[in-house]
Amino acid sequence: MNTLLQATSKISDVVNFKNEWLWLGNLGQAFIIITFLSAFAAMIFYYKHEKSGDIAFRKAARRSYFIHAFSVIAIFSVLFAVIFFHRYEFYYAWRHSSNSLPVYYMISCFWEGQEGSFLLWIFWNAVIGVVLMRYSRKWESPVMAVISFGQVALSSMLLGLELQGVKIGSSPFELLRIARPDFLNIPILGSIGIENYLSIFNDGNGLNKLLQNYWMVIHPPTLFLGFALAIVPFAYSLASLFRKDDRSWLQPALIWSLACVGVLGTGIIMGGFWAYESLSFGGYWAWDPVENASLLPWLIMTSAAHMLLISKNTGRHMFTSHLLVQLSFWLVLYATFLTRSGILGEASVHSFTDLGLSGQLLLFLLVFIGLSASISFKSINQRRIFNRIISGVFIGAVALSFVIPADWYSSFQTGLKWFGISAFFSVIVLFIINLYRNQKTNLEDEKLSSREFWMFLGSMFIILSLVQIFTATSIPVFNKLFGFRTAVPVARDYNAIQLWMAMPIMLLMAIGQYFSYRNTNWKTWLKDAAITGLISIATTVLLNFNFKIEGYHFLLFLFLAVWLALGNILYVWKLKKLGVLAWGASVSHFGFGVLLVGVLVSSVNQKVLSSTQEGIQLAPEQDEKGNVDVKGMQFNRENRILYKNDPIKMGTYQVEYDYFEQGINYDSLDKFFYVKFWNQTGDTFTLVPKTQNNPKMGLLAEPSTKHYIHKDVFTHINYESGMDKKEPFSGFKTDTVALGQAFTTNSGKRKLTPLSIEKGASSNGLMLRLVLLVQGINQSDTLYPQILINEQTGNLESIADQNEGMGVYASMLSFNIQDPDPSKQKISFVIQSAEKEPVRDYIVLKVVEFPWINLVWAGTIIMVFGFVFAITNRILLQRKVLS
Amino acid sequence: MKPLHIALIIIAGLGVAAVVSLYGNTTKYVSFSEAQELSQNNYSKQVHVVCQLNKSKPINYQPEVDPNHLEFWAKDSLGNESRVIFLQPKPQDLERTEKIVLTGKHKGDYFHAEAILSKCPSKYEDAPVKKEHPSEIPKSL
Repeated sequence: MNTLLQATSKISDVVNFKNEWLWLGNLGQAFIIITFLSAFAAMIFYYKHEKSGDIAFRKAARRSYFIHAFSVIAIFSVLFAVIFFHRYEFYYAWRHSSNSLPVYYMISCFWEGQEGSFLLWIFWNAVIGVVLMRYSRKWESPVMAVISFGQVALSSMLLGLELQGVKIGSSPFELLRIARPDFLNIPILGSIGIENYLSIFNDGNGLNKLLQNYWMVIHPPTLFLGFALAIVPFAYSLASLFRKDDRSWLQPALIWSLACVGVLGTGIIMGGFWAYESLSFGGYWAWDPVENASLLPWLIMTSAAHMLLISKNTGRHMFTSHLLVQLSFWLVLYATFLTRSGILGEASVHSFTDLGLSGQLLLFLLVFIGLSASISFKSINQRRIFNRIISGVFIGAVALSFVIPADWYSSFQTGLKWFGISAFFSVIVLFIINLYRNQKTNLEDEKLSSREFWMFLGSMFIILSLVQIFTATSIPVFNKLFGFRTAVPVARDYNAIQLWMAMPIMLLMAIGQYFSYRNTNWKTWLKDAAITGLISIATTVLLNFNFKIEGYHFLLFLFLAVWLALGNILYVWKLKKLGVLAWGASVSHFGFGVLLVGVLVSSVNQKVLSSTQEGIQLAPEQDEKGNVDVKGMQFNRENRILYKNDPIKMGTYQVEYDYFEQGINYDSLDKFFYVKFWNQTGDTFTLVPKTQNNPKMGLLAEPSTKHYIHKDVFTHINYESGMDKKEPFSGFKTDTVALGQAFTTNSGKRKLTPLSIEKGASSNGLMLRLVLLVQGINQSDTLYPQILINEQTGNLESIADQNEGMGVYASMLSFNIQDPDPSKQKISFVIQSAEKEPVRDYIVLKVVEFPWINLVWAGTIIMVFGFVFAITNRILLQRKVLS
Repeated sequence: MKPLHIALIIIAGLGVAAVVSLYGNTTKYVSFSEAQELSQNNYSKQVHVVCQLNKSKPINYQPEVDPNHLEFWAKDSLGNESRVIFLQPKPQDLERTEKIVLTGKHKGDYFHAEAILSKCPSKYEDAPVKKEHPSEIPKSL
């Protein structure tokens, strides 16, 4: 491989490649470097301004940041141009797009590749930075210094430099012939010349069909905006630690963290909705490590936002507020590391490519944790000593790795790994100790009847739930570090434990808001809790007449979800004088309750309508006592075979596979299957699940769902007869017959009768078509074998016809006109027939009914409204305070 | 001891319990022969086997007989081979996979897979189709 690389790089030096738009890539690359350098400059200038207070520095910093933001947009535009003009000399365009890709999906190419998604993140950070520059007032310098530092780190991911064999970033403007030098060796290039390689690589690999979906256009930007927003509370926390004991950071940090929770939550649910609409697993959440990686920052940011609220309102729990805000951002970095380093490999269904940047990603995490730890020292001297030790150790380790003899290298690496792990945890512990010393608040007189007590408890229960998900999701990391062989838990395991973990949180959400800060009259509180509790019990009972949920743990969950929803919406009564905007928390909590009711009912009560007990019976297993394991025999039979036009009963529905259509133009690889549903209540609808036989990506299938208010009927094709290898026809036999004269196929199973001959015109001559009746037992059909007569050459061409369903083939080889008048029936036809076992068109279909799944989406939308109210309200309040 | 501390200790305890039970409940990546051993020792949990499809032996999926029955042969990294039964339709690109992760149990003379995770590293990284079929390129080039 190495010699190959050398050989091709020599070729690249000599050969003058044709038709490459190298200038476009160079332009993009130049903007990447400007982005990186301007972020660096902004960081330095902001830091200088914070230290010296010299206005000139702030001016320089702002200018640098504007240049930065501008060049980020420029990179975006150049990359879009690369994709839009199909410049396949650039690896990114070749890999993620194709000529036939519609313009509205070109934007999705940005998030199929890692470089593009980093770019998206950088873009959001740039926007956030500009907003902060305008509105953060006295916090601008330290906060923007941290944001700029984040941008330095992120934009270094795009640099695409290679120093001493160490890769720094991966550029979206890398050339195809550099990224895949092997492509220059394909044999055909020998004949047309290597310099003309672009005439062969004139179409790209294409965008994954599953990403070609409306939701995939808006889900990743939303999710990444959520990720990007997490840096702001983190920056405020660091800024406040740096400035020591300034508590005015809490209000802006709270606003930004609420924005993060709202946007990230929306992004996560959008991803779930996309999965439900276009993936095959039949659901919106699978506890896949990649999904979890986005859930972890959301959970901790939710917890942090509540802590910030407590701290802002009471001045207490400053330590926890800082800690959780810091952890939120660390977890965002950790999630990025998990999903982009390729470490999840065997644990996730998502496909990852390791760009070889895991080291760099890990380094970010370490650098940011180091930064936090450094700033957490109160005394400047200690901070300096810490910085020197850390950078000394780091430089020492890097230097050692260059001078160490080769045969010691592996033991050196092992040593370094363990040293690294222990240093990593020591730094975190050090940070926590420092933070606790400097930020602990007096909690001695905190009352059991205070809101802050219960809210704090709620936040801790969220962390508890997070710990379980974090540990489970990190199993591949622990395996790698410690050489374990543990497998990642399946969705069932998560559900079983998270069901219980959610309950205390739900309970606190249901009753917590009836506490006041500092102190509450227990009597009033009890009254409120009792009234809402009783109403909720009644509502739960009523609802369950419809839901029919069984199992005490599920019923308890339902009751708590209902209480959570009602407790919050009834609380609005107490806030009615304050106006709609003050209802933010209540509305979003109500939405969350609705969402949880939807999650419970749609998952516990989902019905596989296509489930069946039919099929090959496996040998029953016996244990030592000779008991037969019945459970093992009735296992997961969730698909039915549906023959064309042969309806079967599924649930209350009659289901019929009606016909299929091949897609046209851009969809020409798609097959659309029309499946009719009807039942006795007159409910009739047609669903069109589809499959796609994609030569590059294999078979893809897309479900089709009928939405009702109270339920969804989800269908998904898992197999269809077109995927079978077709048996060829055999038993060819030639007969010479006149119209009306019947004959049979070779085995005599099918009777064929030529009924009449029809004349028509083809594009360059005459077309004759024979109407041939085919009869079998209980079956008949008509075949139309044709002959085309080319008027110029006089050649005859036969076009055969066949019926797979009856297993008959017929071709009109020639005809013999004894009398030109067809009505005298003196024509004889030479017909070749063949037969095979009849093939019936079928689909293998899974049909699932999801009751009340709309509550999940409705709850989400209500939640978003709540967040908008809450954020607007807090911004207005802050304005009032400032003016 | 304030109520706050008591509550924190309880939550921390629950956290430890959650992590311990998580590790107690997780399963391992094993080879086919280890899976067989475990099943003979009445190990009740599912295991994961990382393996490769044996493409020289037939893949048996006949939806007209049973749409929920798939049989094939797979080899793990140590070279152990096992028959695999999967009571669901054939995953859509089974033949193309380079690596599959099976979740399930060994039973009798076969491995009963409850889930199949197929990994096609080349899925999105195909060389151009034209490379494989140079004859399709128009002569005018």
